[in-house]
Amino acid sequence: MKRLAALGILALGLTAGLTACGDKSGGDNGDNGNNGGGGDNGSTVTLTVWVDETRINALQPLVGEYEKSSGVKIKLEQKNFDDIRGDFATQVAAGKGPDITVGANDWMGEFIANNLVQPVDLSGVADQLDKRSVEAYTSGGQTYGVPYALENIGLVRNNKLLAETKATTFDELIAEAKTAGTEHTVLLQVGTEGDGYTAYPLQSSFGAEVFKQDAAGEWTKELGMTGEPGHKFAEYLGKLGTDKVLSQSTTYDIVKATFQDGKAPYAITGPWLVADWKAAGMDVTVLPIPSAGGQTARPFMGVPGFFLSAKSTQKTAAERFMVNFLTSKDTQLALFKTGARVPANLEASADSAVTGDPIVGGFLEAGKDAVLQPSFPEMNQVWKPWGKAESDIINGADPVSTWDKAMTEIEQAIAAG
Amino acid sequence: MSKQTTVDRAELKRRREATQAHARAWGPGFFVKLILIALVDALGLYGLWMAWQTGSTAIAVIMAVLLAVVNWVYFSKRALPAKYLVPGMIFLLIFQIYVMLNTVFVSFTNYGDRHLGTKEDAIAAIVRNSQLLDLSQPTRDITLLSKGGAYYLAYVNDAGEAVVGGQDQPFAKDDAAQVAGGVVTEVPGYEVKREADFEGMGGSLPTKPVENLKVPLADDPEAGSLKVMATDFAKGQVYKPGVTYDEQTDSLIDNSDLAAGVVIYKANNQTGQFEHNGDRYPRGGGWKVTIGFKNYVKLFTDPSISMTFGKVFLWTVVFAFLSVATTFFFGLLLALAFNSERIRGQKIYRVLMILPYAFPGFMAALLFKNLLNRDYGVINNVILGWIPGFEGIDWLNGSTLMAQFTVIMVNLWLGYPYMFLVCTGALQSIPGDILESARVDGAGPVKRFTKITLPLLFVSVAPLLISSFAFNFNNFNLIYFLTGGGPVPPGGSADDPGGTDIMISMVYKLAGVGENPDYGLATALSIVIFLVVGLIAVYSFRKTRSLEDVM
Amino acid sequence: MTDAELTDNGLPAAGGAAETPPPPRTAADRAKASRRAWWREVGWRHIVAVVVSLYAIFPLVFVINMAVDPNAGLASQSLFQNFSLQNFRDLFASRPFGQQLLNTLIVGGVTAIGTVLMGAAAAYAFSRFRFEGRRFTLTFLLVVQMFPQLLAFVAIFLLVQSLGEVFPVLGMNHLSTVIAIYLGGALGVNTFLMYGFFNTVPISLDEAAKLDGATHAQIYWTIILRMVSPVLAVVGLLSFISSFSEFVIARLVLTDPEKWTLAVSLYDLVGNDRNPYWGMFAAGAVISALPVLLLFLFLQRYIVSGLTAGAVKG
Repeated sequence: MKRLAALGILALGLTAGLTACGDKSGGDNGDNGNNGGGGDNGSTVTLTVWVDETRINALQPLVGEYEKSSGVKIKLEQKNFDDIRGDFATQVAAGKGPDITVGANDWMGEFIANNLVQPVDLSGVADQLDKRSVEAYTSGGQTYGVPYALENIGLVRNNKLLAETKATTFDELIAEAKTAGTEHTVLLQVGTEGDGYTAYPLQSSFGAEVFKQDAAGEWTKELGMTGEPGHKFAEYLGKLGTDKVLSQSTTYDIVKATFQDGKAPYAITGPWLVADWKAAGMDVTVLPIPSAGGQTARPFMGVPGFFLSAKSTQKTAAERFMVNFLTSKDTQLALFKTGARVPANLEASADSAVTGDPIVGGFLEAGKDAVLQPSFPEMNQVWKPWGKAESDIINGADPVSTWDKAMTEIEQAIAAG
Repeated sequence: MSKQTTVDRAELKRRREATQAHARAWGPGFFVKLILIALVDALGLYGLWMAWQTGSTAIAVIMAVLLAVVNWVYFSKRALPAKYLVPGMIFLLIFQIYVMLNTVFVSFTNYGDRHLGTKEDAIAAIVRNSQLLDLSQPTRDITLLSKGGAYYLAYVNDAGEAVVGGQDQPFAKDDAAQVAGGVVTEVPGYEVKREADFEGMGGSLPTKPVENLKVPLADDPEAGSLKVMATDFAKGQVYKPGVTYDEQTDSLIDNSDLAAGVVIYKANNQTGQFEHNGDRYPRGGGWKVTIGFKNYVKLFTDPSISMTFGKVFLWTVVFAFLSVATTFFFGLLLALAFNSERIRGQKIYRVLMILPYAFPGFMAALLFKNLLNRDYGVINNVILGWIPGFEGIDWLNGSTLMAQFTVIMVNLWLGYPYMFLVCTGALQSIPGDILESARVDGAGPVKRFTKITLPLLFVSVAPLLISSFAFNFNNFNLIYFLTGGGPVPPGGSADDPGGTDIMISMVYKLAGVGENPDYGLATALSIVIFLVVGLIAVYSFRKTRSLEDVM
Repeated sequence: MTDAELTDNGLPAAGGAAETPPPPRTAADRAKASRRAWWREVGWRHIVAVVVSLYAIFPLVFVINMAVDPNAGLASQSLFQNFSLQNFRDLFASRPFGQQLLNTLIVGGVTAIGTVLMGAAAAYAFSRFRFEGRRFTLTFLLVVQMFPQLLAFVAIFLLVQSLGEVFPVLGMNHLSTVIAIYLGGALGVNTFLMYGFFNTVPISLDEAAKLDGATHAQIYWTIILRMVSPVLAVVGLLSFISSFSEFVIARLVLTDPEKWTLAVSLYDLVGNDRNPYWGMFAAGAVISALPVLLLFLFLQRYIVSGLTAGAVKG
C-alpha cells in the first residue's frame, strides 16, 4: 500500500507539472484551431502551399513580400513532385493536406472526380494569361486552378555533331542523323513500359490522335487512334524498331547519358533534360519535330499550375494568393528562371529574359502546333496499355494486332469506368 | 541421493526467500522503477486529460487501459515475463496493430478512386463546383452588410434602385438605403462591413460566411444569385443555378443544363455515389462506404486476378526462399572466412563487405537496372563486351527465367551484408571449447562445420531466417525499382503480372495504385497475402521448436 | 592497421580455431609446410576477401562517379571524366543537409538504443520464462512483422494526426513521432535475432546466479546482457541502418526540410521523374554511408569480441 501511495503522489505531482506546461501549448493549439472559425483579436491567416524542390527555390524569396503586403502568412511545404498527386488525394480526402498545391493540368480530371479541388475565379486575370493555359484548367465551364507555364517536347540537336537540319520528314531526319557517323541517330525514350507521351508527335503526324476532337477542338471521350491511322503508326514504329532507331532499352536515363556523351546528334525530349545538357556545357538547338506520317507532328502541351484544395478553410485568402500572386508577372518570371518553361502570364512570356533565350524560343516554336493533353480521368486508363503496345511493337511484336489489342483493352477499361 | 536432493531443496528455498526479501526491499532499483513508472503515469494522465479535452474518446480509453496494465504489471509479483514484454508491446500495439486493424477495415470498404471521402464532402463539393459564373451578367459594386450575425448584400440595380438581400432571401428594394456614386453606402438597421474587418486583411472576422453567402437575384432560382468576389469584397458576380441537394429524397437536383431540364441523381448508399438511370453523377465523385466481403469475392471470382494468383504465388515463394538461401550461405561463407584473427586487414575487409548495406536500397536497384541494360549497360558492354561474338544478354527483359535469375543476383548483393553481420555475431556464440574437443576427437574441418558449427548456428538464426523469408516475400522496392515486375509477355495486357512480379507488386498493379487506385481491393489482396505468408511462417516456426532445445 | 591492433581484438575466434601443423623435419620442409599452412589457413581468405570486395564495390564506383562528376547520370558509362565537388556544394546549398544529418543520427541513435533495450527484454522473457501464451506471443510477433505495410500510409497519417492532438510531440513534423513509429517495430525481426541468441546462453548460468541470490533483473542486466553483447551490437547496428534508410514513413510525418532525415532528403532529390538530381543524390548517399561505416568500425570489436566463448568455460 505504501508503495502505491508513494507512486500516486509522485504521479500526481508530475502530472500537475506537465499540465501546467501543457496548458500553455494547449492554449496555443486552440488558437490555431480556431482561426478557421474566428479568433478575437487581429488574427493572422496561414496558407499552406505544397511546392516541389525547383519551385520552392523560385517562390521562397518572393513570398516574404506578399506576406508583408497582404498580411497573410504563407507556409511553403517542400514535397516531392511525384508524391504530390497521391498524397494530395489521400490527405485532402481525409480533411487534411494543404490549402494550395503545385500540380499539372492533367491531374485536374482526377481531382474533380474525387471532390478534391474547388474552382478559382480567374475571370479577373484570364486576359493576362495564355488562352491555352486557362483552357487547360477549365472543366465544365469552371476554372480549377491557376496555370503558370506551358511545356512541350521538341527535337534537340547536338550542334557539335550536326550544324544544320534540313530534313522535313522523320525519315529524312534519320538519314541526316546517320551522316554524323555516331552510334545512334535519334534518341527517344521508350523503356519496357513505353512512353506514349514522348512518341505522340510521331503518332499525331499519322492523324492518330489519342481521342477524337469535336468541332470546337475539344477532346471527346472516343478513342481517336483506332483503325487505319493507328495501324500506320504502329507499322512505322515496328520499322523504327527493326532499323534499330528506337529500342526498348532506351530509357530516360539512357537518353540523358547517351546524348550527353555525343553518341547521337538528335534527341526528342523536353526542357527538363535540355537544362541538364546546357549545364554540362553542351551546345544544343531546339527544333520542331518533323512529321513522320505526312500530317503535322503535334506534341502534347502540358500546363503546370496550382490547385486549390476543396478542404481549404481559407478560400478567400487562398484565392487571392493564387490570383494576385501566382499569376503575376514577377512570380512567373521567377518560376521561369528555375524551370525554363514558357510562362503562362503574357507579360512575362514577352519579357526579354524569355524571348532572348534561344532554347525557350525553340520549344515555343516546337510547341506551336501542340495540343493540350487531355485532363479527364479516362486518360489514366490510356497510358499503360498504350505505352506497353508501343514498347512491344518496337521490340518486334506484330504491329497491327498488338496495337488493336491495346485499343480494345483501353476501350473496355473506359467503359468499365 | 535423496538426502542430497532434500538439502538442495532447502538450500534453494532459503535462497529464494532471500531473493524475494531483496526484491521487496526499498533498494535503489525500486526507486528507479518508482520514478520511471511515476513518469509514465504522469504522461498517461496528461494524455488522458488532453484526450478528454480534444474529444478523442478512443485515445482516452486506450490510454486508460494501457495505464492500468502498466501499473498492474510492474507492481504485481505474478506478471514476471510481462515486465519484460510490456514496453515493446505498447509501441507495437499503438503503431502496428492499430495500422493492421485499420487496413483490415479498409478492405471491407470501397475506399479508392472516386470513393475517398465522406458523403458530406461529396455533396459540398458537387454543389459548389456546379455553380457557374454567368458571364452575360455584369459585375456589381456591392456593399457587404451584417445584421444579427448574418451577412447581407446591397447593390444598385439597373433600374437605379438600391436592393438588399441575404442567404435564401432574394434581393428586394430598400428605400432607406443611402447611395453615393452608384454604391450603397449605408442601410439603416444593418452594419456595413469592409474588407479590413476580415481576417487576413487586417481584421478578425472569419471569411467563411462571406464565401458561403449566396443571394438569389429573384424568387425564380433560374435568375441566378449574387456572390461576393473572393479577390474583392466590394464586387459581386452572378452565378447560374447549379446542383442542389435535397435531404428529403437524398438526391441531387441538377439544374445546370436548362435545355436538358432538371436531372435527379439519387444517392446510392450501397455503392457510394449519386446515380441517374445507372449513370453516376459525372462532374464529381462519390464517397466511401462499407461493402462487406465484395472485395474478397472479387479476388476469387475475377478471372484476371484469380487466374494469375497461382503463378505469381509460386514465384514469390521461390524468390523469397532463394533470396534467403543465397544471402544466408554467402553471408555465412564470408563470416567464416573472416572469423580468423590471422588475416591482416580483417577490419577493412569487413567494412568493405558491408558497404552495399550502407547505401539506400532503391538506389542500388535503379543503379543495377542501368548497369544491366541490354544495349547500353556497363555489364554487357564493358565487363562482358570483350568476349568475341558476345551479343549481349537481356538480363531484365528477355526470358522470364533470366530476369528471375538477375533479380535473385541483385538481391544477393543487397542482402548478403545483413547475413554476414548476423552470422559474424552468431559465430561468436559457438563455444570454442566444443570445437576444440571435437578436433581433439579427430573430427575434420568439414565435419566440425556440419556437425557442430552449423546446427549451433541454426539455433540462433533460424527464427531470423523465417522473418527474412517474410521480408523478401514482401520485398516491393526491389521488384518495383529493378524490373517493375517485368518482363510482361508481349501481346498481353499491361496489367498482366510479369515474370518477376511478386504478390505485393501484383497488389500494386491490380489495385491501380497511382492511376485509379482501388485501395479497398488492394488491401483485401494484401490481407490474403498476409494470411498465406503468416500460415507459412507459423508452420515453419513450429518446425523450429526442436531447434530451440539444443542446449 | 597494425598486428597489435588485430590481436587486440579479443580471444582467438571460434569458427576457424587455429591449428598447429605437425612439426616439420628440415628447414626447407618447414618453410614449405608453413607456406602451405598459411595458404590453407589465411591465404584463401584474402582471395575471397578481394573478390568479394570487388563485387561489393563495383556498383558503388558508379555512385562515387555520379557524386564527383557533375555531368554524370545514372546511366553513365564512362567513369571519372570530370572531378569536382560541385555536387557536394550544391547539396549543402540546396538544403539544411547538416541539420538533416543530425536529425538522422538522433533518430537512428534513439531508435537503435530503444530497439536494443525493448527487444532484448522481450527476448529474455521468451528465452528464460515459460509462461502461458509464450509460444502464442512469439508466433504473434513473427506474424505481425509479415504484414505488408505498403498500403498502411493512410492509416499511419491519420494516427499521427490524432495522436498529435493529444501529445504534440507525437504529431506531425516531430522527430519523436518517427522514432515512436520505428519503435513500434522494435519487437520484430530483432527480437527474433536476439531470442535465438539468448537460447544459446546456457540456462545453467542463470541458475547458478539465482542460487547466489540474484534477482531476475540482476541476472538480466549483469549476466545475460553481458553474455550476448555481440548480438546487441549487431541489433543496434541493424536497427540504426534501417532507420537510416527508411523514408516512406519519415517523409509522411516530417514536412519541414529542417526536420527531414537524410533518407527523406535523398529521396526528395530523385523523386521527380523529370528532374532527378542523381549527382547530389550520390554525393548525399556517400556522406550518409559514412556514419554507418564508422559505427560498424566502432562496433566491430563488440561484435567479434568472443566474450561468450570465454565465459562459458567458467
